[in-house]
Amino acid sequence: MNRQIGRLGLGLMACFLVLFVQLNRVTVLDAQRLKDHPQNNRSILRDFDAPRGTVVTADEVVVAISEPTPEGSRFERTRRYPEGDLFAHTVGWFSLNNGASGVEDTYNAELAGRTLDLSFRSLDDLFVDRERVGDVRLTLRADVQRIARDQLRDRQGSVVAIDPRTGELLALWSWPSFDPNVLAGHDFRAANDAYQLLQSDGRKPLLAKTYRERFFPGSTFKVVTAAAGLEAGAVTEQSPSYPAAREYVPPQTTRPLRNFGGSTCGGSLFEILQVSCNTAFAQMAVDLGEAPMVERAEAFGFNDVPPVDLPDPARSVFPTDFDQNLPALAQSGIGQNDVSATPLQMALVAAAVANEGRVMAPTVLAEIRDDEGEVVDDPDPQEWRRAMSGPNADVLRRAMIGVVERGTARNLAIPGMEVGGKTGTAQLGTDPPRSHAWIIGFAGPPGQPASVAVAVLVEGQQGASEQTGGQVAAPIARAVMEAVLTAQGAGG
Amino acid sequence: MIVLRRRTELGLIVVGALITAGAYALAGLGRDAEIPANIVPFLGVVLGMLVAAHVAVRRLAPDADGILLPLAGLLNGIGYVFIVRLDESQADTGRLAGLQAVWTAVGIGAFIATLLVIRRSRDLERYRYTFAALGLGLLALPLLPVIGRTINGSRIWISLGPLNFQPGEAAKIVLAIFFAGYLVERRELLALSTFRIGPLHLPDPKHLGPILLAWAVSLGVMTLQRDLGSSLLFFVLFVVMLWIATGRTTYLTIGGTLFLAGAAFAYTQFSHVRDRVEIWLDPWPVAQDAGYQIVEASFALADGGIAGTGIALGTPTRIPEVETDFIFAAIGEELGLLGATAVLCAFLLMVGAGLRIALRAESAFDTLLAAGLTTLLGVQAFIIIGGITRTLPLTGVTLPFVSYGGSSLVLNYVLLALLLRISDNSARTHGATT
Repeated sequence: MNRQIGRLGLGLMACFLVLFVQLNRVTVLDAQRLKDHPQNNRSILRDFDAPRGTVVTADEVVVAISEPTPEGSRFERTRRYPEGDLFAHTVGWFSLNNGASGVEDTYNAELAGRTLDLSFRSLDDLFVDRERVGDVRLTLRADVQRIARDQLRDRQGSVVAIDPRTGELLALWSWPSFDPNVLAGHDFRAANDAYQLLQSDGRKPLLAKTYRERFFPGSTFKVVTAAAGLEAGAVTEQSPSYPAAREYVPPQTTRPLRNFGGSTCGGSLFEILQVSCNTAFAQMAVDLGEAPMVERAEAFGFNDVPPVDLPDPARSVFPTDFDQNLPALAQSGIGQNDVSATPLQMALVAAAVANEGRVMAPTVLAEIRDDEGEVVDDPDPQEWRRAMSGPNADVLRRAMIGVVERGTARNLAIPGMEVGGKTGTAQLGTDPPRSHAWIIGFAGPPGQPASVAVAVLVEGQQGASEQTGGQVAAPIARAVMEAVLTAQGAGG
Repeated sequence: MIVLRRRTELGLIVVGALITAGAYALAGLGRDAEIPANIVPFLGVVLGMLVAAHVAVRRLAPDADGILLPLAGLLNGIGYVFIVRLDESQADTGRLAGLQAVWTAVGIGAFIATLLVIRRSRDLERYRYTFAALGLGLLALPLLPVIGRTINGSRIWISLGPLNFQPGEAAKIVLAIFFAGYLVERRELLALSTFRIGPLHLPDPKHLGPILLAWAVSLGVMTLQRDLGSSLLFFVLFVVMLWIATGRTTYLTIGGTLFLAGAAFAYTQFSHVRDRVEIWLDPWPVAQDAGYQIVEASFALADGGIAGTGIALGTPTRIPEVETDFIFAAIGEELGLLGATAVLCAFLLMVGAGLRIALRAESAFDTLLAAGLTTLLGVQAFIIIGGITRTLPLTGVTLPFVSYGGSSLVLNYVLLALLLRISDNSARTHGATT
């Protein structure tokens, strides 16, 4: 029997060894994967009542702050968003049952003070129990954001403003928005009810449309088509001169593609961009062919997720499966067919033209500060894509300035500033006709690199004329750019 | 020599009590940043109970092994601290902790009573068939109307007035005694091989009856009471004891085959068995539902990491049944890999001590009984820790001495007393050994 007992001992020892190995797997090897698992909301639960850093805008307006609760409350702190709906889609919310969103999500570790930079600033911190949390300063400006909100009013739409030189986002506003305070409140029933109500709202107020929803870009996409022509060497400032036409019949079909309002247009690149000539740009796309169009769209960032530091950004789409379907390619060249873009992506298109063809990685983070106000992290601007060469970008930049000076984007003009732009009207094919009114543009002091680029989208406007973008969206974009230029001038 | 064993025991008991009190103080610090005001009385009570048990051993089994009692006391103490800590987040704060304290006292009482009543382990051998009847009766008890209760889907409880009790916990020990007695009687016959099928040398079929009976009982427990853990435990216990008694590996093969057959049968026939296996293989699709417990336990262990969050600084109360079956996950979260490994080591040391008692036992019956009781302890710990860490499909059994639960705690103290009794008997026969 003794031999068996010895073996039993070895067997049980082996069993416990297996347990020890498995325990190492769960607590150490797989730990990070388990902590990051989407079903795991332990970190939110833990952080919910913990000290949490403040979020301020570039102009030092407090947009998220943790405040102590009255004596006897269930939790020690409550998260408050003093600006209400103004930054709901960017700062987001931090709640127990409905997770976290926006900056509250992407910079959760920093706000909770869990990064190494914040935890151990000095040897003393090992022995002194301090509440180390990080404060986040955004690149977004509350003053510009308010202008965007005031200008868009209660029309569904999006406003994006970005510094083309650095990729710093200056405004990200879309309406409808919501008040994050109720979602982050301690009355979980009310928070849940509010969340359900917002989720069931057909206008999707919870969705950050500026970077998470795609729309037909319409004629604003002609900037990308023009870039494709320039980069392929097929188009220059002077040539070719597209024939004056009322309609263009792409190969393989008899269905003509017409200009807005049945007008006749044609001429050089500058001329066709000024009047947003459908026939000319459709022909340009067909002449170039599929590959150069796809390559250029992707050089601007299409078909990829932009590296913005906000949760779940949407990728913009330029089709890659034309398979010699030239009518579809012709339509894509003027931003129709299956082309779709986020307002953020269209702002990046304008910004790239203004920044010598460089697409900077968009960001909302200016810096992280510790509780003594010392900066522990301020990321450098990163180049994300090279959309086009510097000389070609300059040609396109001047062409877009022409659109403001002599074309459809006259309403974008700001006295004393160099302003370029491109309008767009994406027809929704409804009856009565409705369309998305677009404008993209950039502005800066004459002779200097543009210091702001914008994209404005007003959804579902009545009518479908090419004027819609210039009339509806341009005033909003101009006001936002003026606000940025004023703020930049004041700040030096 | 004998004095040395008891001195070692007392010293270890003091260390164990100090560790328990230290953990209790840390739990207070973690909770509200101050050492609990009752830390000194707490240490006094812990020490008092264990010293009472120690004095009983000194009087009643002076030559018994000296490390089992301190290890049990340590596990019991750590478990109690965690129950207090977990209980604080419940609505009726302190209820479970209070009950567990009472059950611990009852357990120590049962420990002393067992040592008092059973003076020679061989006395047990004589009543083996009485124990067999008693064991089967205890197993069947929860199936009776009126007193039987189904709690959390398992019909393993009986209810007497305000008290709920799991008679299966007692049945395990009683049946281990019966098995030991029966096998000692029949081991010669069972070891003979009279015919062979393929590579298997089999004994006379009529001697195979008992193993088939044990298999049937295990299956019965599983199907009628839906208690997979206990079913597995019974079967392993019997096969291991049969193997030790006869020295025939054939029985392990037969046992393994029968186990696989039973498992396959259960998997195809019972949805609750199939669910357990599927949750074990991939809990994520049902993470908010049937797999919630195991997924939360994984998250808890991952949160704990190497050093743990610290007692009362984690969030183990998110795991359902954390005070009973899943207490090991709470220990893993708050004491980390290090603390969890310490618990594993404590069980391994108990297993080692138990098997040493088996090796030195003076009679075949004692050897078998000690090995059986040790198997019960070790395999039960393995089954539940394995379930929590997803090494095995989850079957709900308690972690001996650590989990909340009166029946389990009291009967584990009885098991401990039996091991010490065997140890004491053999040491007297052999004279002083260590």
